[in-house]
Amino acid sequence: MNRFLSQKFRFYSFVCIALLTFVHGYNLKVGYLEAASLVEEPLTFTTFFEFFMANGVLRFRIPLLFIISGYIFSLQDNKPYTFMIGKRFKTLMIPFFIWSAVGLLITYTLQQFPVTAQAVKDAGMDQLGDNRPYNEIGWLGILHRWLVVPISFQLWFIRSLFIYNLLYPLFRWGVTKIPAIWLIATFILWAMQFSYLTFEGNGIFFFSLGIWINKSNYPLDKKPAWFSAYLAWVCFIGFAMIKSFMAFELENTNLTKVVLIALYAATVISGLLAVWFSLDELVKWCMQRKWFLWLSAFAFVIYGMHVPLIEYLTMLMYRYMNTIPNYRLLVYLTAPAIVLAICVITGVLLRKLVPKFYRLATGGRGF
Amino acid sequence: MWFDPGCLLLHVHCIDLYNQMNKPLFILLCVFCCIQSHAQRGFAFNRLSTEDGIGLASNDVRSIYQDKKGFIWVGTANGLQRFDGSKFIHFSTKGDPMPHTLVTQIIPEDSNRLFLSMVTVHEFGIFDPVSFEYRKIPLKPGKEISSRADYLPWKDNEGNIWLTVTRHGLMRYDKKQRAFVDDNRFDLPKGWETVVRTVFVDSVKKQTWFCTDSGLCVYNKAANRTWYKKYNPGRLPIFFNSQLQTGMSRLFIDKRRRIWGIVWNPGSGRSQAVCLDENGANTITQDTAGINQGPAGYMELHQMYETKSGGMWLYGNGVLFSFDNEQRRFNYIGSDADVTQIGISYESIYQVIDDKDGSIWIATNRGLYYTSAVSGSFSVINILFDNKNNPTDITDILELDNGDYWLTSWSYGVKTLDRFLRKKENHLFATAPPTNWTAEQKGNLKFTWALCQQKKDGKVWVGCNGGVLMLYDTLKRTTQYLAPPAFGKTTTRYITEDAFGAIWFGTQAGIIFRYQNEQFTELLRLNAVIHKIFFDNRGMMWVATYESGLYAINAASGKIIHHFTATTGNNKLYANSGYDIEQLNDSMIVLAAGALNFINKYTGTVKLVTYEDGLPSNNVMRLRMDDNGYLWIITSNGLCRYNPTNNRITSYGRRDGIVLAEKTNTADFICKEGYLIFGGSNAMIMFHPSVFSNTQPPPDVTITDFKIFNQYYPVDSLLQDDKIKLKSDQNSVSINFASLSFMQRDKLTYYYKMEGLDEDWIKADKSMSVNYSHMPAGNYVFKVFCENLEGIRSPNITQMPIFIKPPFWRTGWFFSVCLYVIALIIYVVHRLRVNKILAVEKIRNNVARDLHDDMGSTLSTINILSSMAKSKMTTEPSKAGEYIAKITDNSQRMMEAMDDIVWSIKPSNDSMQRIVARMREFATNVLEAKDMELEFVADETLFDVKLNMQARRDLFLIFKEAVNNAAKYSKATKVDINIRPEGKKLVLQVKDDGTGFDVNNADGNGLANMQKRAGFLSGNIDILSNEGSGTIIKLVIPVS
Repeated sequence: MNRFLSQKFRFYSFVCIALLTFVHGYNLKVGYLEAASLVEEPLTFTTFFEFFMANGVLRFRIPLLFIISGYIFSLQDNKPYTFMIGKRFKTLMIPFFIWSAVGLLITYTLQQFPVTAQAVKDAGMDQLGDNRPYNEIGWLGILHRWLVVPISFQLWFIRSLFIYNLLYPLFRWGVTKIPAIWLIATFILWAMQFSYLTFEGNGIFFFSLGIWINKSNYPLDKKPAWFSAYLAWVCFIGFAMIKSFMAFELENTNLTKVVLIALYAATVISGLLAVWFSLDELVKWCMQRKWFLWLSAFAFVIYGMHVPLIEYLTMLMYRYMNTIPNYRLLVYLTAPAIVLAICVITGVLLRKLVPKFYRLATGGRGF
Repeated sequence: MWFDPGCLLLHVHCIDLYNQMNKPLFILLCVFCCIQSHAQRGFAFNRLSTEDGIGLASNDVRSIYQDKKGFIWVGTANGLQRFDGSKFIHFSTKGDPMPHTLVTQIIPEDSNRLFLSMVTVHEFGIFDPVSFEYRKIPLKPGKEISSRADYLPWKDNEGNIWLTVTRHGLMRYDKKQRAFVDDNRFDLPKGWETVVRTVFVDSVKKQTWFCTDSGLCVYNKAANRTWYKKYNPGRLPIFFNSQLQTGMSRLFIDKRRRIWGIVWNPGSGRSQAVCLDENGANTITQDTAGINQGPAGYMELHQMYETKSGGMWLYGNGVLFSFDNEQRRFNYIGSDADVTQIGISYESIYQVIDDKDGSIWIATNRGLYYTSAVSGSFSVINILFDNKNNPTDITDILELDNGDYWLTSWSYGVKTLDRFLRKKENHLFATAPPTNWTAEQKGNLKFTWALCQQKKDGKVWVGCNGGVLMLYDTLKRTTQYLAPPAFGKTTTRYITEDAFGAIWFGTQAGIIFRYQNEQFTELLRLNAVIHKIFFDNRGMMWVATYESGLYAINAASGKIIHHFTATTGNNKLYANSGYDIEQLNDSMIVLAAGALNFINKYTGTVKLVTYEDGLPSNNVMRLRMDDNGYLWIITSNGLCRYNPTNNRITSYGRRDGIVLAEKTNTADFICKEGYLIFGGSNAMIMFHPSVFSNTQPPPDVTITDFKIFNQYYPVDSLLQDDKIKLKSDQNSVSINFASLSFMQRDKLTYYYKMEGLDEDWIKADKSMSVNYSHMPAGNYVFKVFCENLEGIRSPNITQMPIFIKPPFWRTGWFFSVCLYVIALIIYVVHRLRVNKILAVEKIRNNVARDLHDDMGSTLSTINILSSMAKSKMTTEPSKAGEYIAKITDNSQRMMEAMDDIVWSIKPSNDSMQRIVARMREFATNVLEAKDMELEFVADETLFDVKLNMQARRDLFLIFKEAVNNAAKYSKATKVDINIRPEGKKLVLQVKDDGTGFDVNNADGNGLANMQKRAGFLSGNIDILSNEGSGTIIKLVIPVS
């Protein structure tokens, strides 16, 4: 891995995580987004824009993060398995427990004040659907939410990543021995949105792709001859736009689901290509800026903390801004920015005041 | 004659009428007959039949059920139907076909589905009103069921549906098997299960009672045992009652826990009902009077029904009883619709239910009946005077201070009813008329027209025919007979008292008299029959006349202030004949003259409210304001109410218990307690206006029908989804709606709005239907609510979201696809342009390369040779000659090469024919020069092959090299050249019969160039040659 590739990894890791806030700041009525989600609200600029962003153009983030993870993990696969897993436990699972607990703590704290308690209730974020105050849920319920169904639901990513790391020998075997079959099979799993308990099928393909790119020495840092930035961006934006309109306008049928999933896959793949291969100048510009490097150090704090903050903040802003015209769009654009600021400030304070805890909570990433 | 003793049969229950002013609506119909009098307390039944044209499939109605929404489901001889208040509809079912046959029972199954029993075809099924799915329920008995078996379905406390099958046993509906299966869980005495007649499920004690041919038994769930006469561990007294052990066809336990039994009495040959206390030990006689006093002939009691409000109904073949809460007895309701026109006609009563409003619905073999009665009480009295000799025209009504009612009539004098509407003697003639009166004057005392009671002393004036008056002293019970000379012989048509105690008389001759200080004074002559004199709250006199309009008169001076007519002035009345006058408010006088005439007494303007404005008829006869300011109006088309606050007119008819209103058009009165009385020809109605007030909100509006381009769609099914989704061409819809309160139905005002189209709420017309045509694509929400007469709204606004899909070419996704395609086209065009530039560039490079490769080196050689030749020209001429010969050779080759280049670039040589021709020409020239025989074969299909410039050149040069080699080195006598297409490949073969060579040891640029050019063509070249056996060169290249 050369220096520029390393810079690209850091740049895109931060950008993908920062953009997460705009995905999770999505505030349409049905907040849970899937590849084939339909929107039951009227088509307005606000609803379209939010859906277009959250379930369209920003959908390349998680695949890209999985590719980067697969690539980096496979770089070090010459080290002993147990060593690698132990290391990964420290850098993935310990942060999982910490940030899950932070999410619970934030929620519990907000439940103590009437206004914020109402915001927590309105957000309705509990994955078990039980949005009672934690006082009423009991320790078992808290424990369940801490370890299995965190209120900071975004943590599924690092948990899945840890599981993939555990299964890495299998991934490596598949990628090196039967690459075509393995990649096709995992692609199908991704397209089918396969998931079983805590094993998320969404990332298998891209994690495998990352391994394959590394093992095949694919020049990831060079723009391929066949790549057309124009075509990639046209496909990326075009598919995302078509899919967004269809989500508003088509009926909920099996055919619709198939079409939406196909468009989703096309959007993600064209988005990955467009974003990865056509923004080198931007990457170079950013990575030459100190402020950007400083900011990108807090990517993991943003990742771990932005949910549930973004949801609660959205509800609070609704409460006080609902008389302003287009307040939903306004909240969608401003709440993520505020949350980003809160997360960065928190990161700065933690790094300065409790550096050991900060290292533990970020898996040693935030320096 | 008119009030002959015995003719007037009113009942004690009417006493309570006055004590129950504010109780719910109830109806009394009293029928007075003078010749053969009979009185019947009963109900004003409304009949729904096949003749009504509202879709009832058969008058043989066997079962009724009201669902949670309020729809009435009826089982008729022609199948199941749903009634929404305006029409009956059949349903086309999915699943199994539902037979259009006699539906004898409708039992609600869980999830709002309906269990249907069609015993005539031995079929049972479950119908889902939402999905319209009907599933037949097969019977899966353990043994064969007798063809003579009877089937009786019922539902137990746990919601299980059972089927009692005589001669077989009990079967339960098994939801898993979707079939009736044998089930003996009730542990009936052996053999009893085959002779069960009826079952009663006691939901309070969780007991199930079985009436069987073998006796009575009860299953106690707690003990999980069935008790009967021979096994009675609880010593239930009912099992010691031998009368009930056999012959009991029905058992019923009411809310008071009384046990009712229907028992066959072999002695009388008819069934009878018995009532026992809770234990079944003692017979109860209280509140059971009349229960077995039905028709004289055959009758057969089948069933009891207790309404939600505690009313009791008992019915069967030829019999219908209702319990009268006031009289504490059962009343037999005979089949007499033919006589009374408002009764019920039946031979069999099959089912009685009460709906959510408390209205009673009755299934009979002669149609479906309903009545707005509740608990056997009455609050609207319709009295029909059935006088077959003379019509009984009531001309005026008066309530005396003691509560008695005086009624004047033409030819029957003044008659009196007490406050309970019982006939009462009055003492009007206790004082005999003056002896000096003529017979005509005495006779006129029977032709009474008007009544008025003086406020100061209670004396009652009676206006009679022929100028005769009576003044009755209610305290002394004496009558003063008057024949004022001023009256002459003019008939007194109206008498009233003003605010100062003066009595005013309006006469047939149009003269107005004032009686004050015991003096009659003529005020004014109007020369028209005076129908009414009315003093407004400012003391102004208003006089309604026959054919002369309305007069406003200063009562003190007799000066006519205003005269309104239908013919003169700017403010015309609807008609000149006015019958009644009321004051609506401080400024508004209402005159009944044809339509309603609203006269502003200050401005003199007249506003008409007519039939077109909702009035039942333009023949208004009586007006009366009630205490709440509503104006009650009798027209020739019945009773209505005018609400001055919202100008709404509401009609009241049979559904409200008002049956005889159109007959009561000549007299009216408002009682002290607020009762309104209207009287007229043979009829009188009396009611308290409050009974028509409903303080309960009407039920939420239900969408009853949904039509697209006038075609019905199953609205329940459509509403299962979040929204009704329509295609772009399904954009004309009709929506019918109704609040399913059959009592308030016509009194409700509906407001609707199609959100997305309508800005404001729109008041619906009486059809309760709205059409929207050619709606643009988009999202809509149809909203509707209703409001009752008191302005109380239905609790919720009924909403029906509708989405009309846009045609695909007007969707956002289609636009974005178009944009995407345009972007792709731009990209493709751009790429083509770039490719074209690159292609030209490539050609130029190739030409440059070829010129350089083929010409450059040769020209250099020529240049060198020419220099050398020049230098040797004088010294070594022979050498110079050699050089010149070489120059000649080189220039010849260069010319050929140039010829090849030019030939390959030239577009006219693009066709395969030209290539083949050039090949043939070249081969002929070369081989002929060597004296070799040539056989050149080119398949004609070859000419369809397309080769680009470079490929053409490479192909020709490979050919050229092969032929040159054959000519130069093979020493052959014959060369065969074959060029042909094979599939998608072009095959070129050059074969000679020369000496051949060792391919493996061959060297030279020629063969290498051939291989290289074959590579450019993505083809393959094979050289087969051995020394002494000739050579074959075969080129295979892909072509299109």
